[in-house]
Amino acid sequence: MKFLGTCLSACMVLAAIPAQAQQTHVLIINGLAGEPQYRKAFHDVAQTLADSARRRWGVADSSLIILSEEYAAAPTALRASSTKAEVGKAFLALSHRASPADVLLVFLNGHGAGEGPQSRVNLPGPDPTAADFSAWLAGFARQTVVFANVASGSGDFVPVLAGRGRIIVSATKTSIERNETIFAAPFVRGLTGTEADADKDGRVSVHEAFTFAKKEVARSYENDKKMLTEHAVLSDTTLARTVGFGGPRGSRDPRIIALAGERQELEAQVAALRSRKATTDPATYERELERLLLLVAEKSKAIRDASAGGKP
Amino acid sequence: MKRTSLIFVAALLACAWRDADDPRAQVRALADAGKLDEAERVARAGGPALSGALGDILVLRGKLAQADSVLRVAVTADPAGRRSAEVALAELAYRRGDRADAFRRAVALTVAYEQGASGWSADDRVAAGRAYVLQSARNAPAVRQALAAFDNALAADSGNIEARLRTGELFLDKYNAPDAKISFADALKRSPEHARALLGLARVADFENKPEQATLLKRSMAANPSLVGAQLMLGKSHLEAEAYDSASAAARRALAVDSSSMGAWSLDAAAAYLTGDSTEYRRALAAARRLNPQPSDFFAELAEAAARQRRYADGVRLAREALVLDSSSVRALGLVGTNELRAGRMDEGRAVLERAFAIDPFNLWHKNTLDLLDQVKTFRTIDRGHFRVVAPPDEAELLTMYLVPLMEEAFDSLSKRYRYTPPSTVRFEIYKRHADFSVRTVGLTGLGALGVSFGPVLALDAPSARERGQFNWGSTAWHELAHTFTLGLSNNRAPRWLSEGLSVLEERRARPSWGADANVEFLAAYQAGNLRKVSQLNDGFVRPRKPIEILHSYYLASLVCEMIEAEYGTKALVDMLVAYRDGAETPAVFARVLKLTPDQIDAKFDTWFRAKFAGPLRVVGAEDKEGVPSGAFAATMGKAVSFMTAGNADSARALLLAAQAMFPDYAGSSAPAQYLAQIARDKGDLREALAQITRLTARSETSWEANALEVELREKLGDTLGLRVPLERMIWISPYDVPVHVKLAENAAKRGDHVRAVLERRAILALDPPDALDARYQLARALVDGGDVASARRELLGVLEQAPSFEKAQMLLLELRGRSAGGKP
Repeated sequence: MKFLGTCLSACMVLAAIPAQAQQTHVLIINGLAGEPQYRKAFHDVAQTLADSARRRWGVADSSLIILSEEYAAAPTALRASSTKAEVGKAFLALSHRASPADVLLVFLNGHGAGEGPQSRVNLPGPDPTAADFSAWLAGFARQTVVFANVASGSGDFVPVLAGRGRIIVSATKTSIERNETIFAAPFVRGLTGTEADADKDGRVSVHEAFTFAKKEVARSYENDKKMLTEHAVLSDTTLARTVGFGGPRGSRDPRIIALAGERQELEAQVAALRSRKATTDPATYERELERLLLLVAEKSKAIRDASAGGKP
Repeated sequence: MKRTSLIFVAALLACAWRDADDPRAQVRALADAGKLDEAERVARAGGPALSGALGDILVLRGKLAQADSVLRVAVTADPAGRRSAEVALAELAYRRGDRADAFRRAVALTVAYEQGASGWSADDRVAAGRAYVLQSARNAPAVRQALAAFDNALAADSGNIEARLRTGELFLDKYNAPDAKISFADALKRSPEHARALLGLARVADFENKPEQATLLKRSMAANPSLVGAQLMLGKSHLEAEAYDSASAAARRALAVDSSSMGAWSLDAAAAYLTGDSTEYRRALAAARRLNPQPSDFFAELAEAAARQRRYADGVRLAREALVLDSSSVRALGLVGTNELRAGRMDEGRAVLERAFAIDPFNLWHKNTLDLLDQVKTFRTIDRGHFRVVAPPDEAELLTMYLVPLMEEAFDSLSKRYRYTPPSTVRFEIYKRHADFSVRTVGLTGLGALGVSFGPVLALDAPSARERGQFNWGSTAWHELAHTFTLGLSNNRAPRWLSEGLSVLEERRARPSWGADANVEFLAAYQAGNLRKVSQLNDGFVRPRKPIEILHSYYLASLVCEMIEAEYGTKALVDMLVAYRDGAETPAVFARVLKLTPDQIDAKFDTWFRAKFAGPLRVVGAEDKEGVPSGAFAATMGKAVSFMTAGNADSARALLLAAQAMFPDYAGSSAPAQYLAQIARDKGDLREALAQITRLTARSETSWEANALEVELREKLGDTLGLRVPLERMIWISPYDVPVHVKLAENAAKRGDHVRAVLERRAILALDPPDALDARYQLARALVDGGDVASARRELLGVLEQAPSFEKAQMLLLELRGRSAGGKP
C-alpha cells in the first residue's frame, strides 16, 4: 500500500510536468464547397481551429498548414489550395517536422463521395481516397495521429485509417450517410472551447470533444424535428481519452511542480474514494469527500499564489 | 375515348332494361328511391316469389313482426331470395336481442356457403357476407370472411351494388375509410345518386373530418328521403352542435319511416337526456326496451352523446349501464375505458380498453390509445401543490418548474373569480409529439388543437411538439385550466361558446400579451357579417362554415364575455354558468341573468363591439368571398410592403406610420410595427426600433423573433431592468433556449432576484446543457448568492466529485468554508 502510494505519487509528479518535447502539428484541409454557405461554414470552422491551435495550444506557425480552395490564387508554404498534390506535400512537410511522440491533428472537411478504401472528399482536381490518406499517414508511425474526417459520407475512412497510435473520427457511420452533416462545427467548438471539458482539467481530450459534438448534433436534429442522418464514429476511445489539446502551460518552478504533484495525489485519493462510494456510509463519504476536495482546492490556490509570485 | 363511352352507355341501358323486367330489382329500385309504399305494393303483388323482397321492405319500414313472418315464408317459397331471407331473419333476431337464434341462423348459412358456393348467386353470396358480419360480433376475424364473401359476390356479378355497399360499410365500420371510399365511389359509378353510396361517402368524409360531408349527406337525403341512416347521421351532427331540437326532429323523421330503429330512439333519447326532458327520455327508453329487452346500444349511444358534450362522468355511468346489458359490447367497453382515462383513472381505463381490444382488434381508437398508454408509462409524474404533471422524462422537470407556479397563480385567480374549487388534484399530461396529444384527446391523430380539458384532466402539446412561435404554452395551459373551473362550476353544461370565451378572456387577464387579439381578418369577417350573432355563437364552434370561423369565434366569444363582465359585472358570468348547471338553455340563461332576449343581446353586443373597435372598423372593410379584407388599412399596408420589398424604406415608412395611425393596436401578422422596427434598427435608431417592437411584443403572445429583437435592443441600450419582461415572454413561447435562461439568470442576479436566478440556473440544468458541470457550478453560485449555502455546498460537492480539478468550483468551496467558519475565504 505504501509502495503503491509512493509510486502513484512519483507517477503523478511526472505526469504533472508537461512533456516539453511533445509538439502538436495541425493540417486542416477544406474540400470544394460548391455553394457560398458551405464555403463560409468550412472557412469559419477551419479558422476557429487554426486560431485555437496557434493561440491556445501553442502550435508553431510552421506546424500549422491550411489547405483550401480559397488559397489557390496566392499560395504559400503553409496556405495552399487543397489539391491532392498539396495534401501530399503537406503530409511530407509535417512528417519532417514531427518528432516521435508528437501529435498530428488532421482535420478534413467537405463533401464526401465513394466508399470503402475509395472513399474520398471532393477536392480541387483529382480526389485523394482514404487509401491515399492511409499511405500518407504511414510517415507518422511514431507519432500519435488524430484524423478527423468531418465530411458527409466519411464513415468508411475509419476502417481504412484505424491502427495503432491513431484516433480516427468521422462524422458519419458509413459512406452511405451522405446528407449534409453538421458535426464539424460542434466538434471544433468542443476541441477549442471549455464546454466539452467534462472533467474540468483545463484540457479537452479528443474523446471529450467527440462526446460533446455527438450530443450537440443529436440535440440539433431533435430541435429541428428531423431524423438523425449522421452517426459520428470514434475509432479508439481508450487512446482518445488520453490525447487532448490545450490546458495550462507547465511550470519549471520546482515549488509549483511539487504542489501540482501533491494536488494530483489528492485527486487520485478522490477517485479512490469515489470508487468506494457504494460501500461507504453516505455521511462518512460526504465528510471525507469534502475534506479531500478542500485539500485539493487549497493546493490549487497555493499553485495560483505561487504562479503569481506569492508564497504557496 | 368516345368508343368507350358508347360501350358504357350501352351497358347501363342493358342494366336498365334487365331491371325493368325484374320485379325484384324494381322493388329494390323503389326502396332505394325511398318510395317504400310503392315498393311494398309491388312486392306484395309478386306473391310468395317476392316474399324475400317484401320482407326487406317491411324491415325498412320497422314492421318487424310482419317481416319475420314474410321472411319465414321466403325461406321456403322464394328460391331466389331464400338465403337473403335467412340472413335477414338472423339480423332480426339479433336486433331483438335473441343472439342464440341470430348466430344459429348465421352459422348455418355460412357453413352451407363454405361447403360449396358454386351455385350461389351474387345476392346469395352477399347474404353469406352479412352472416359473417353478424358473427364478427363475437368473432372478430369473421370480418375477413365477410369481405371475401362480398368479393365473391362481385366476382359473380360485378354489377351487384349491394355487395359494393356492404363492403364499403364494413370497411367503414372497421375504420378503413380509404377502402370504404373506393367501394362507395364504385357503387356511385354504377348507380349515380345512389342514396346509400352517398351516405357512405358522407360518413367517410365525416371520418376524415372533411367539409364535403354535409353536401354528400344532403344529396343522399334528396335521393332517398326515407333513408333512416341519413336522418340519423344528420341528427347526430345536430346533437354535436348542441342543436337538440333539430336532433329530435331528425329522430322523429327516422321513426316515421322505421319505428323500430334503435338508432332513432337512441338519438331521440340522447337529445332528451341532454336537455333534461325526462318524459321524452323515458318514452324513448321504453320503446327501446320493447325492441330489445337488453338495449345495450341504446345506452352506449347515450354515453357517447354525453361524452361529446363533455359530460364525461355521465358518459362513464351510461356506458357502464350498457356494459351491464352486454358485457362484450366493444362500444360500451371503449366508452367506459376512454372516459375513465379522461377522468384520470388510468389503470381502470386501461384495463377496460384492453378488454375491448381483445374482442375487436380492428378498433383503431382503442389500439392507438393503448399504444399511447404504453408510452405514458415511461413518463415522469411530478406532484406539486394542486397539480400532478405527467410528462416525458426529458422535459418533465423543466416544464414543471415553470408550469406549476403559473398554474398555482391561475388556480388562485380562477377559484376566487368563479367561487369554485376543483374537488381533486388537476392532472396535466404533456406530450412532446402532437400526434400523441391528438390520440389522447380523440383517439386518432390529426387534431388541430393545442390543449384539451376533460375537467380535472388536461392534456397539452409540449412546447417542443410544435415549431417555435406557433403557440404559447403558458397561455394554453391557463386557457385549459380555466375550462376546469367553468366546466366544474356548470357541471359540464356550459356551452362551448361560453366556456371557450371565458378561457380566452382569462388568458388576456393573465398576461397583457396573452390571448387572442383583434386582427384585420377578424374585423373584416365581422364587417362582412360572416361571424355569428351572440345568440348563435355556438354554431361558430360546432358548425363553422369555414375553418377560420372557429378561430374567429374564440375571440368573438371572449369579447362577449368581456362585454357581459363590463356591463353586468363578473358575477353575471358566474351566474350564467350556474344557470347552465341548473339545466337552463341559452335563451333562458340570457333572460335569467342578463334580462335580455336573444335579439336584444345580439343588438347590444353589436353596439358595444362597434364602439370598442370604432377606429379600426373605419379602416377595415368587409372581407371578400376569398376572405381578403378591404379598406384603407389593407390598401396602405399593401403599398407599404411593396415599397419595403423594393428596398424603398423611406417611402415604406411614411405609409407604415399612416397605417399604424389608423389601427394603432394591431399586432397581427405583418403589423406596421414589425416593419417600422426593422427600418429604425437598420438606420441605427435603436430607441425608435425599441418603441416599435414593443408595440408588437406587448400584444402578441407568440412572437419569438420580435421578443428576441426587443432583448437585443434593450441590451444595446443598457436597459437591464427592461430585459426581464421580453425574456420571460420568450420562456412561454419556447423554454428550450439555454442563452435565454442564462440571460434571465444573469439579469435576475443583477436585480437581486436570487429566487429567479436559481430557477433559471435549474432550468439550464434541466435542459441537459453541453457543459453540465459548469451549469451546476453556476447553480451553486446562485444558491450562495441567494443565501442557500447548504444546497450550494451539496451542488458543489457533486460537481467536484466528478471534476476535482474544476478551479472555479474549488474556489467557491473554499469561500463556503470561509463563510461557515465565519471568516474570510
